[in-house]
Amino acid sequence: MSFRARILIGLGLIVLFPLAVFELRVRADMADRLTAEYQRRVASLVAVIRADLSRDSAGIARRLDALKDAIAADNRFRLAALQGADRAYLLDYAGNAMRFTGLAMLQIQDEQGRIISSGHFRNEYDRVEPELPRLLATAPGGMALVEAPTAEATLLALARVDSLRLGGRRFTLVGGVAVDSNFLARLAPDSDLAVSLTLPTDTLARVDSAAQVVGTPLAVPFLGLRDSLGVSEARIVVTHSLAPLAALRRRVDVAFAVAVLLTGAIALLLASWLSNWISRPLRELARRTAEIDMERLDVAFESDRDDEIGALSRLLGAMMERLRAGAARLREAERRIAVGDLARQVNHDIKNGLIPIRNVFRHLLEAARSGPDRLAAALQDRQGTVESSISYLENLATNYARLSPQPAREPCDVNATVRETIRRVGEARRGDLKSELADALPVVRTDPLVLRRILENLIGNALDSLASPDGTVTVGTTRSAGGDGGRPVVRITVADTGKGMSREELNRAFDDFYTTKPDGTGLGLSIVRRLVLDADGALRVETAPGAGSKFIVELPGEGE
Amino acid sequence: MIRPHHQISLFGLLVVAACGGAAPRGELPPPAPALAPSDTACLIAAGRPASRDTVAIALTDPVDPAHAPLPRNVAERFVFAQLYETLVRVDCQGRVLPALARSWEQGPEGRWTVTLRSDGRFWDGAPVTARDVLAAWRARDSSLARAITVPDDRVLSIDPSGLSFQRFADPTLAVTKSAPGGGWPIGTGHYWTTGSAGGAEALWASPVPGAGLPALKVTVAPASEARDAVDANADLLLTSDPAALDYGRTRSEYQDAPLGWDQTYVLLAPDGTSLELSALRLESLPQAVHVEARPAQGDDGGFWLIDLKRCGFAAEPASPRAPQRRRIVYEQTDRDARDLAARLVGLATLGRGAVVAGLAPVAFESAFRSGAEAAYVLRIRRRTVDPCAAARELPAWVARGSITPLIDTRTHALVRRGLPRLSVDWDGAVRLVPR
Repeated sequence: MSFRARILIGLGLIVLFPLAVFELRVRADMADRLTAEYQRRVASLVAVIRADLSRDSAGIARRLDALKDAIAADNRFRLAALQGADRAYLLDYAGNAMRFTGLAMLQIQDEQGRIISSGHFRNEYDRVEPELPRLLATAPGGMALVEAPTAEATLLALARVDSLRLGGRRFTLVGGVAVDSNFLARLAPDSDLAVSLTLPTDTLARVDSAAQVVGTPLAVPFLGLRDSLGVSEARIVVTHSLAPLAALRRRVDVAFAVAVLLTGAIALLLASWLSNWISRPLRELARRTAEIDMERLDVAFESDRDDEIGALSRLLGAMMERLRAGAARLREAERRIAVGDLARQVNHDIKNGLIPIRNVFRHLLEAARSGPDRLAAALQDRQGTVESSISYLENLATNYARLSPQPAREPCDVNATVRETIRRVGEARRGDLKSELADALPVVRTDPLVLRRILENLIGNALDSLASPDGTVTVGTTRSAGGDGGRPVVRITVADTGKGMSREELNRAFDDFYTTKPDGTGLGLSIVRRLVLDADGALRVETAPGAGSKFIVELPGEGE
Repeated sequence: MIRPHHQISLFGLLVVAACGGAAPRGELPPPAPALAPSDTACLIAAGRPASRDTVAIALTDPVDPAHAPLPRNVAERFVFAQLYETLVRVDCQGRVLPALARSWEQGPEGRWTVTLRSDGRFWDGAPVTARDVLAAWRARDSSLARAITVPDDRVLSIDPSGLSFQRFADPTLAVTKSAPGGGWPIGTGHYWTTGSAGGAEALWASPVPGAGLPALKVTVAPASEARDAVDANADLLLTSDPAALDYGRTRSEYQDAPLGWDQTYVLLAPDGTSLELSALRLESLPQAVHVEARPAQGDDGGFWLIDLKRCGFAAEPASPRAPQRRRIVYEQTDRDARDLAARLVGLATLGRGAVVAGLAPVAFESAFRSGAEAAYVLRIRRRTVDPCAAARELPAWVARGSITPLIDTRTHALVRRGLPRLSVDWDGAVRLVPR
């Protein structure tokens, strides 16, 4: 895993993990506190509803009491109820009274339990139902939820019973207020609290406690009329929706998500910047270090940073300096060793050839001193020795000459060789290398390896001479006439924009072992000149200090 | 109350017949009598015809020209009776009287020959010919039209097969022709109009020249505002609202004239077995409604709707398919139907747990046609001259279902004293009597 990836992951975890823990903790605390608050509100509402039911019951009782007074004072009712006159008035009485008293249910029964007037179901008259007032009278608190039939549906009412005596007969009043959705909604003070009613007949009634806080049910006596009349128990259930909590959770989640996104983005940018700030110079140091080679010790490790990376860069730079110095010393030592060995061998071999000659010459001097006539004899006597030594020396020279292999003479495409050489040098060296090659050059008869070696030396020297990175080296080829017998000449130029050479430097440029470079052998131009001459060519130089140098190689070309 | 255009689908062919029973069939009534001026048997007002220039009429049902000439409520029955004529009319005692027909006789071969009166004219002044009569009938009863030939401009020759002569008093067979541009059809009655009645706007009907009748100003108001019409000095109020009638009776300038028991509420159940008719106490039903009512009573032949066998309806067994809902359905604008339905529930006619359901007119018509409900409370005409024709307007399931007449109701006329002569026909239609 890269250093950059580690920084990104690490920074992300550092930022996101505390945020996640914080959010989970906030959610849990929020849920606990709100749920507790909801439970308190539900319990309070249950108490309020209990009080409301008592107040409603008292209100019903007051209305029934007032209705009793009104009936007692109504002679028309008396006549209708007791004498059977004006039946329509009697039938409509409960309906009208119900509207005036604000009741939703009103039933008037005679002592046999026969309905003589019904407000909520006008046309149920004459039905006998004595159980309803009897059971209502026995209900706790004298109040019960009653399922009363109407023409259209069943009316659920909170009802009470009362009675009066009229003409010696007892009449029962059953009155109540409707317990419907409006009634239940009136009990709930706000939309988060819900009041529901569960009847014993509601077998499918179920409260979803997962979605709401459910309070302790409030039991209310219930008289169901659907099957058999009897007192059972209905339950008023107060619930508090958890929707506000869920909504709050969603808002918190959104807020945390936004915070996580923003923090994550900031952390990502910070980590990216930090990792770049650290890893980019390291990658650059690694790249430069990879370029270091014995042939390439010019890699720079400058840095302005004052941190560890700057110190590392400076250490690497110092190491490079030491490497360069060591390499120079190594090459110098190698050169000296090579030259010294050769010189000692040549010295030894020449001495081996010269010693007999010197001895002969001493002998001849002694002979000449002793008598001129002996000189001729001595010369004759030692002629063989001299000749033998000379022959030895000639063989020796021939043998040393053989250390340099004879180049082959074969048709050579100069432009192709120039391109190949530029390509190879360009791969190994840095510098601006250009070529200006003429078309249709004549073929040169020489060894391509020799020509490439010439070019490599000249181009290498030219690149070495460049004083600035902007300098260029231009290799060109032209064709010119003027060779022996009108033969064409191929002219190769290697021009640089380097520092050029003074007259003194030019005079010594082709000397063996002369060099201005700390790591040079001093043999490059010497070898170039020898190779050009071996190819029957010519080499000249146009140079001036600060104006660069142009080396011109002219090689005889093949005829048309 | 059943909305007019639905009501007509059930009652359109129910027309007056002889008083006291189902209409006689295939018999030619006695020659047209000339009622003596002293014959006041069917009059509810007997003032001089020209005693007033304008008579203010107050009605409590809507009047729609598109229904003409077939009335669909009490108000339309009054208005159309003034505007349109049939060949004959039947008075409250069942006597067949001339209208567009001046006379009629039966030939030796049994065909009826009806002669039109010579002064019969449409509102536009065109004389009424026998061909006009035939054209009007052809559009409404093609089979009847095929039984008729026109030997003369004023004579119709009629094959009486399967016909009762009283059929020609059917408002369906009123002689009209279309008015250019629509609106009221052009009739031959003693009044004509081009107006409309609705909201605060009154309908004006003008007498045709020579009738010697006052103009009519007809206003329509809800039944709950009927007493306001009395206070506004209406000359004639047709209503069944008991409060308005009680109020009118306290006013000495008005007299209360109950019209005939012309409507019957029935309980129709596609599956008669679902009813517990033993629980049905007919004597208690009139108390269930807020109008004058009595337990349903048939005439001497019984209630016409019950005896449908003679009309060829097959008495098929009830469908075994039980209705999905145990409810008694009524048309929600008919308060009396609602009261009756509620009473039936109170009596557990459909057993415990049944409910009533009031449906909007269109929904009720659809539900009634389908027969998918447990029972229906429906108001129909109590009398009809052609029960079979009326029955054919009912859904097919009626013939095999249960039909229980519940109560009869009637309308009252509060008449200002001194009004011109007003007579009552057999079907309860009130009409001003021309000179």
